Amino acid sequence: MSRSWEPTKTLNFDKPYSPQELKNVVANSVYIDAIIEAESNESGVSKEKLKKEIWEYLDEMAMDKKMHVVRWMGVVFLKICFMMKIGVFVNEAAVLKLKSTMGMNPVLFLPTHRSYADFCLMTYLCYHYDIDLPAVAAGMDFASMAVVGQSMRETGAFYIRRTLAGAPLYAAALRRYVRALVASYHAPVEFFLEGTRSRSNKSLPPKYGMLSMSLAPYFSRECTDVTLVPVNISYDRIMEQKLFAYEHLGVPKPKESTGGLIKSLHKLNDHYGNIYVNVGDPISLKEYLGDQDGLTKEMLKPTELQQITKEQMIKIQHVANYVITQQQKCTVVTISNLVAVVLMESLVRNEPLELTQVLVKLDWLIQVLRDLGATVFENDLKPNLERILVVHKNLMRIDRDKKLKLVSSAMMDVSPDVQNKMKGHLLKAETMVNALPIIELQLYMNPVLHYLLPPALVYLLVRRRPLYKEELLAEYLQIRRLLKYEFFYMEESEERVFSSSVQFLVKGGALCEGAGLLEATAPTALGDLLQSATLSSLHTMRICAEHMMKVGKCLESQALKHVQAVVEESQVHPYCLSLDAIGRCLRGLAEEGALIRSRGKQVTYEVVGHKMEECHRLVTSVLPNINIECGTNNSVILNQETLKSKL
Amino acid sequence: MSPGSDASAKNMLENTEEQNKVKDNIVYNDKINTFSEQRENKGVENKDIDTVIKVKSAIPRRRQDLLKWYGWGYQDSTFKISDGVAFFTGNRYLLGGKKLPHALQFIKEYFNVDITKDAIPPPQPTSFQESRLPSTIKEDLEKIAPLSTDGMDRLIRAHGQTLKDVYCLRKNSFQRIPDAVIWPQTHQQVEDIVKCASKHKFVIIPFGGGTSVSGSVTCPANEERPILVLDTTDMNAILWLDKEQLLARVQAGILGQDLERELRSRGYTVGHEPDSYEFSTLGGWVATRASGMKKNTYGNIEDLIVQTKIVTPTGVIERNCRVPRISCGPDWEHVVMGSEGCLGVVTEVTVKVRPLPPCVRYGSLVFPDWEAGFHFEREVARQRAQPSSIRLMDNEQFRLGHALKEQQSWGGVVLDGLKKFYITRIKGFDPLKLCVVTLLIEGSTEHVARKEKKLNAIAAEYGGVPGGARNGEIGYTLTFVIAYIRDLALDYDIVAESFETSVSWERTLALCKNTKERVRKECRDRNIQEYIISCRLTQTYDAGCCIYFYFAFKTDLSMDAVRMYEDIEEAARDEIIANGGSISHHHGVGKLRKKWYTQTVSEPGRRLLLATKKALDPDNIFALGNMAYDQYMNEELGLKSKL
Repeated sequence: MSRSWEPTKTLNFDKPYSPQELKNVVANSVYIDAIIEAESNESGVSKEKLKKEIWEYLDEMAMDKKMHVVRWMGVVFLKICFMMKIGVFVNEAAVLKLKSTMGMNPVLFLPTHRSYADFCLMTYLCYHYDIDLPAVAAGMDFASMAVVGQSMRETGAFYIRRTLAGAPLYAAALRRYVRALVASYHAPVEFFLEGTRSRSNKSLPPKYGMLSMSLAPYFSRECTDVTLVPVNISYDRIMEQKLFAYEHLGVPKPKESTGGLIKSLHKLNDHYGNIYVNVGDPISLKEYLGDQDGLTKEMLKPTELQQITKEQMIKIQHVANYVITQQQKCTVVTISNLVAVVLMESLVRNEPLELTQVLVKLDWLIQVLRDLGATVFENDLKPNLERILVVHKNLMRIDRDKKLKLVSSAMMDVSPDVQNKMKGHLLKAETMVNALPIIELQLYMNPVLHYLLPPALVYLLVRRRPLYKEELLAEYLQIRRLLKYEFFYMEESEERVFSSSVQFLVKGGALCEGAGLLEATAPTALGDLLQSATLSSLHTMRICAEHMMKVGKCLESQALKHVQAVVEESQVHPYCLSLDAIGRCLRGLAEEGALIRSRGKQVTYEVVGHKMEECHRLVTSVLPNINIECGTNNSVILNQETLKSKL
Repeated sequence: MSPGSDASAKNMLENTEEQNKVKDNIVYNDKINTFSEQRENKGVENKDIDTVIKVKSAIPRRRQDLLKWYGWGYQDSTFKISDGVAFFTGNRYLLGGKKLPHALQFIKEYFNVDITKDAIPPPQPTSFQESRLPSTIKEDLEKIAPLSTDGMDRLIRAHGQTLKDVYCLRKNSFQRIPDAVIWPQTHQQVEDIVKCASKHKFVIIPFGGGTSVSGSVTCPANEERPILVLDTTDMNAILWLDKEQLLARVQAGILGQDLERELRSRGYTVGHEPDSYEFSTLGGWVATRASGMKKNTYGNIEDLIVQTKIVTPTGVIERNCRVPRISCGPDWEHVVMGSEGCLGVVTEVTVKVRPLPPCVRYGSLVFPDWEAGFHFEREVARQRAQPSSIRLMDNEQFRLGHALKEQQSWGGVVLDGLKKFYITRIKGFDPLKLCVVTLLIEGSTEHVARKEKKLNAIAAEYGGVPGGARNGEIGYTLTFVIAYIRDLALDYDIVAESFETSVSWERTLALCKNTKERVRKECRDRNIQEYIISCRLTQTYDAGCCIYFYFAFKTDLSMDAVRMYEDIEEAARDEIIANGGSISHHHGVGKLRKKWYTQTVSEPGRRLLLATKKALDPDNIFALGNMAYDQYMNEELGLKSKL
């Protein structure tokens, strides 16, 4: 902890800027000066005052890396890891390779964002491998946290506001600061392309703002290239698991505060399993874009005033989408994911599995996922399964009959205070008891769904009736588009994904092909798996469509509530209660043209009759005919109340 | 050169600023009331919005509200004679509101005029040529930018400032005036307008400040297509200002005074100050290859400009890199520079800016005669010791300047008397021969002091003596008010005009002498007795200088008088060219000097000119017909018929 530290830098300057000097660079830049001149001219506010405002913004956002704090935080981090009994796994070879190529151009770390723990992981990893600690973009809510806000700043965090709308001067300060961080600072820059923690543990469509600010120096050739490093962080157990499940149901997230953090610390004295940090292949922006983006009219402006052109923005969006797919590609399938898939299927079928059956099933599932290109880290299944059952002891358990069961949640009273803040429909306590653990379980299933979804959709489409490939592709693409916000994908590569899915299914025996005509075989284990995997999304989509057809037009917030109410009444997968899923289905419908989305003060949706009917027909036609029983009658659910009474 | 005068750096700017502020409100209100919707919809391109400095122009879209419609400059600024004393009205210039006790004496010496007569401005015309713009085109154009077909709007944009222009204006006797005026605010709108013109086959005349003295903006009389004046003055934003690079990207319609005011308030200057710079525009400077008084420090327009963007009917020309120099064949931006509106519209210009000099000092040197002054100038140029501006005035101009001296305090009178005593009695200069060099020195205090010392030393070698800062300053004040004199003169039946040339050093003395002599002869031949011909040397270069002639004679204002003047000027130009002078140093060719264009550039040169027309404006949308461009249609048509 007290060794001398000479970390590898992304750029080697003769005279590197300190974090304080970096702020000066921004405040005294040509860009800020030009902005101030224009703004002062427009508003009549004096330039001195505007400059002061810029400084306030800079003090608010800028990082303030201090070595002694970094050392102390390293100790604290280790301490917490021990407490949480966490094992961190890293693909060391990739990190060392990346490290060896650093020093030529800026590096952006683009990890997935599933938990607050993500913030520390990359920093700690860099600390461990002697790489200069990244400047990490964090939301403003952290900045206001006592001590923690400042400590994060001192380990390299910088703070950004959620929205730039209506604050042109702030936007300018941020734009220039990010530009300086990337082009004139010697450490990697890290931010989350998804913009927020994915509450569903799935990839979110990327946000482009931060990336375009970070890449601006490349387009003005202030740097020769930018290395984008997609990183996937997979957790055996997410700290926020319970909170997320509540959020899905509409219970609001508590405000970040240091007090809250300390209170939650005692919870950390538990088993949290492993964390897998998978550093993906670095992407050279220059190579990705090719040489075609050279000459633009923007080059005629002073370097600092050069802005991203429309064409460049489109390219940046491509890059962002590509990075997300690369993050997905480096997903490490954990034992949690595998068990979740198996348990969920058993739940859907209402058939509890014995431990030995589970192991067989897991073994088979690993093979299926590997065939689909997934990285599965497990090799010794039995001890790992035992380990993970300890980690998830509140969620799943082996009962006396040696069968794997889901543990229902404790009956809880939602206080009137919380009721007022509920975003969705006021759900009954009985609903919550079973919905919560099923949603939690789904959270661990979600990270592998991007492997299963394409073959599942193909299978479901063909299961209805035999189809020729072209016809199949059209319908496949349509339904894929409907689910675009639920399951991120890149349109450009989707035909390839489609073909390999077909091949996979034929090889796996779920489909057979004769003279170009595809036909489903008699039910197989693979078919069953695929059906249960997509069940909740398709049902959510169906119910959204039906509800919107009924009301015609309504506010998004109303739609969320009502769809939730409908779900509660009908016997469908409890994950359909998820506000997140409902919202994404509505957006998907809008994207496909079945709804018109308009943004006033609030988002409103309006049905486009014929298109909606078409989409609804498609979705219902593929829906597997599975009725899910998720009350006390489901033999896979272990009722906590009864558990207690028996003891 | 008294060191005390270095405070008054801005010859006249400070005086005008306050009034501009008052006027600004009027300008803005007017624009908003009339065109509010368009303003909202068609702002400056969104992309640049964050660094754009929107400029409130000193001159409103309805120019006639602030400027004289029948002559030069502001309505409130004019020479007047009342109670036997001349004075200059308004408070925009140093002379403003001051009595000029010596002026009448000077006038009487040269012209026998009845100064008791009251000068009444001509009545504003009420009837105008019908606008020929079809309503369909009008609707199309109104979708792009604000448009007017009002008679006055069109009339005051039908002309420049030549004697003939002003005569036709006062008599409302133009053969052809434009059919509509349009005010685009962005490059994109200009592109749209030009596309519209290509589609509907009408003529566009780009119009900036209307200060041309070459007839270049005059409508071709026999043009049958509708004529649209594209007034650039609403394109006057500073798109960005980079104080590090010392560059600014400016929309080309910005007025010189607006540009200078905005930059000076931020501590910078472009330093391009042609005598018209209060009213002329950046785009106009580019289109005529303008030259500014302080070119020794800041350069002429071609030195100041880093980049231009021009909309032509066949596309937008702009070099796709912003570099200090390039070795890449002929510079096409230079094809457009000086094309006098015949190829397209300059929309945006990247221009160099300089930090304001900490010290500005005026000075003057008195020489016994023109030749002594000339040799001094030559020596200064040889040593490249020029200050920002150095000008040699001949004896007549010196006396004109003296005539415009304001009434002075008692102390001033004594001091002036002493100076006069020293120069005429002790140094023995003949008051009817002596010449004055005026100086404007800018830079750091040390630089200015060093320069001053050096100039004094060179002057001493040629018999010159320092004449005081005040005389220098008056000389430069005169620069801006001299254009107003013509309006006064016209009221008293005196026609006055200026013309300029550039010439190599060794031919300069002969050219001045011969040209003056030629004018005198032409006057004698026409039995003109009351006239004045005078010249000054206004710019120096390594290889030569610029000579500026002033010529005025007494006559009844009539078409004949205008023609007579033009004949004499033509004869003078013939003489200038015969003496090795050029067609123009900075006024441009326009229509007035077409006659000498081909011999100046050679026949292949003329063909190249027509080739540029064919390449950029094959349909002759920009049908101003300046230089040799009027030959384009004939030759193209002739060529086609042969095929």
